[in-house]
Amino acid sequence: MTTTQLPENLIVDFDVYDQTLAMPEDVFQERAAALRAIGPVVYSKAHGGHWIVTRYEEIHQVLRDPETFSSYPNNLVNAGQGKFIPIELDPPEHTFYRQALQPLFSPKRMKELEPRIRDVINELIDDFAARGEAEFISEFAHELPTRVFLALMGWPLEDAEMFTKTTDVALQGIPGGTEEESAKAREDAANQIFGYFGAIVAGVRSGENTSDSLTAQIINTPIEMEDGVRLLTDEELYRMFFLLLIAGLHTVQGSLAWGIIHLANNPGQRQEIVDDPDTIPAAVEEILRIEAAVIAGRRATRDVEIGGVTIAEGEQLIVLLCSANRDGNEFEDPDELRIDRSPNRHLSFGAGPHRCIGSHLARIELKLAMEEIHKRLPDYRLVPEDPPILHATQVRGCIRLPITFTPSA
Amino acid sequence: MTIHAQNRAQSLKVDRSACAGHGLCYGAEPEIVDSDDQGFPIVVAEPVPEELRDQLGALVEMCPERALSVELPNSEG
Repeated sequence: MTTTQLPENLIVDFDVYDQTLAMPEDVFQERAAALRAIGPVVYSKAHGGHWIVTRYEEIHQVLRDPETFSSYPNNLVNAGQGKFIPIELDPPEHTFYRQALQPLFSPKRMKELEPRIRDVINELIDDFAARGEAEFISEFAHELPTRVFLALMGWPLEDAEMFTKTTDVALQGIPGGTEEESAKAREDAANQIFGYFGAIVAGVRSGENTSDSLTAQIINTPIEMEDGVRLLTDEELYRMFFLLLIAGLHTVQGSLAWGIIHLANNPGQRQEIVDDPDTIPAAVEEILRIEAAVIAGRRATRDVEIGGVTIAEGEQLIVLLCSANRDGNEFEDPDELRIDRSPNRHLSFGAGPHRCIGSHLARIELKLAMEEIHKRLPDYRLVPEDPPILHATQVRGCIRLPITFTPSA
Repeated sequence: MTIHAQNRAQSLKVDRSACAGHGLCYGAEPEIVDSDDQGFPIVVAEPVPEELRDQLGALVEMCPERALSVELPNSEG
């Protein structure tokens, strides 16, 4: 079966970049459920045509088979003006970069950051706790991962706004703009950020910048490649830093927001967290499960049969991790939040060789944030006349989330 | 002396070809599994002491890659 003979019912009207999936109301999961009900693999004509994988088993299969499903291109739009490294490389090439980066984000190294992360969390809460209300994204969920990540990388906090702007454009283009406008904006944003990283790399290489930041470590760590041991090139570094920036800033912001939204809507379970903080690690996994941020892309390297269709060599796929996480064959009552869900084999961090390298940092940020928020603002509520604003694209997230709570010192 | 199956030393095995380093196992049971500097699990309780054996079922179940299993080293003839 080729796409030309594809049964009509498998052709769906779905574009992950269509902002009406999230605005004015977030219907992404309902739309994903409708696709999942049609079949494990469906087809969209958007972006030149691509397959959409909707169910847990098939998504897991795709993620674990990089030989058949190349991760370049990962994006349906040209977000990075070329490849993001290492996410858009395949093994064995990918493995060299991955093994060099992995120790820098290891569970033990990330755990050492706990006291500093908790301090940042409490500083942020201090700024609004007495007010009884906050815009949770700009005052907390955006700030926390930004401050933690920039400190880790050794990049100046003053440049946070530029980082935010360039990564927003890379992911979302110009909301409401034409495709050409978005493409041009993405190109400009990539050029701007590559120029910025160029100065950072030059500073470290020349010895002018002697910091021991993660950035300097990545620049100075020789990598064992197929062709021998060498340092990363400037271009490789730009493409790696751009990816780390996008991955480090946006996904945690979304997950923090979803945690607040789902727990505010489930006050009984929130009370369990307030009463017993030991419930938090499992609750974090459930928050991660119920709304996964990432829609990953793959391209078939050969003709392959999966989920009842044949995907031809060269055809593009996307996998909806948020849909895998709501698959009733893997999760009981998948649309229900259950903070004690066990087992909880969610795929929010992906699976296989490209599984999220920052997951250990993300889990710590989420855990500590949940601990402090439920200690200090235990009765937070959404504001019905000013509801959360979410967005679609291949990294789903939250832009605005007003909350109220009993003021505290 | 007869050794009953339930009293035999149980070992946790990690299939490294399946493991993707999710880290749920060492997050949940650090006394049984630790992580190496690449983020992959290392079994540190070998064999698993009796007081921790009740956790093994849940530990095996939680792995998204089905990379964990429990072995009875004495079971082969």
